[in-house]
Amino acid sequence: MTCRQFEELLSSYLEGELAAAEKKEFEAHLASCSACAELFSAFRETQEALSGFPEAEPRPALMDRLYVIPERKRFFKPVFGFLTRPDLQPVFAALSVLFVAVSFIFFAPQGRGVQKAIDRQVHLGYNQVEKLYARAGSVTDELGSLKTTVVDSIKTLNPLKGQEDKKQP
Amino acid sequence: MNEIIRECLEGRQGAWETLMNTYAKRVFNMAYQFCGSRPEAEDLTQEIFLKVYGSLAKFDFQKNFTAWLLTLTKNYLIDEYRRTKWERTQRDEFDERVLPQTSLAGPEEDLDRKETRAIIWEGLNRLSSEMRMAVILRDLQGRSYEEIAEILGLPLGTVKSRVNRARLALAEVLKEKKGELS
Repeated sequence: MTCRQFEELLSSYLEGELAAAEKKEFEAHLASCSACAELFSAFRETQEALSGFPEAEPRPALMDRLYVIPERKRFFKPVFGFLTRPDLQPVFAALSVLFVAVSFIFFAPQGRGVQKAIDRQVHLGYNQVEKLYARAGSVTDELGSLKTTVVDSIKTLNPLKGQEDKKQP
Repeated sequence: MNEIIRECLEGRQGAWETLMNTYAKRVFNMAYQFCGSRPEAEDLTQEIFLKVYGSLAKFDFQKNFTAWLLTLTKNYLIDEYRRTKWERTQRDEFDERVLPQTSLAGPEEDLDRKETRAIIWEGLNRLSSEMRMAVILRDLQGRSYEEIAEILGLPLGTVKSRVNRARLALAEVLKEKKGELS
């Protein structure tokens, strides 16, 4: 018997499933091979430890969670029943498409370009408004100075001045 | 058991509680031995029974309920392991509180036994999910090879060979660790 064959028969030997001839061969190998004898000892110890493993008790809190499963299911059933109605499927499909489109605009790398373009347009519009406002301010100033000039000119000309001189004796 | 399942399907709360009292401990221990973490095992047990409740209507009364439940448990645990195995690196410390309190052996022998169990508990993580499940069902849950073959959906010879390989791997871990300690 080879060491490989010995390893393959370990469980069968310990569970008493080997035929007499095979058992004899197994025991002969065990007596002659120190490495296999060491493995056999560890194997037997492992099996003893495994079979003596105690079971853990589930905590009462877990049991309470398990007992209420039917109630939980009954509570959520009307909601799920409503949401899984076949006539709602086109609505969910439309919402999914909308969601994908929105995600594309806001999250996809290509979508960021769209977002940048929107930002640029907003900034351009804002600049235009600012320029218009500035121009409106300069027009007001010009009108103001024009008004002053006209008033000064009128004062300088003073068309009534000559008549007043004539009236004096 | 079939009568209890019928009553569960009719919505009788007492029947579901009976089912939980019969199987919760077994499913919880299977989950705990498989994943090695108590809080995670509690969550898994709850999810498994939610699934059981949802699938109860599909249960074939001609079949063995325990085997059906354990197959569902095994499938859920392996699927969950495959989905999240990268998140798992180590098991909880082996819980000494679950060990039997009374022992006829001496204190030194007891200590050695506890150490062996702790090494094997840790060693379970080194096995593939399939090998771990086979050895849990055979040695920790005490199922027969025939039952395991039914639960795993494998030929009897494959199950026996898988259990033997799992025990061998654990024996190698034990040999290695004990060698390091001595």
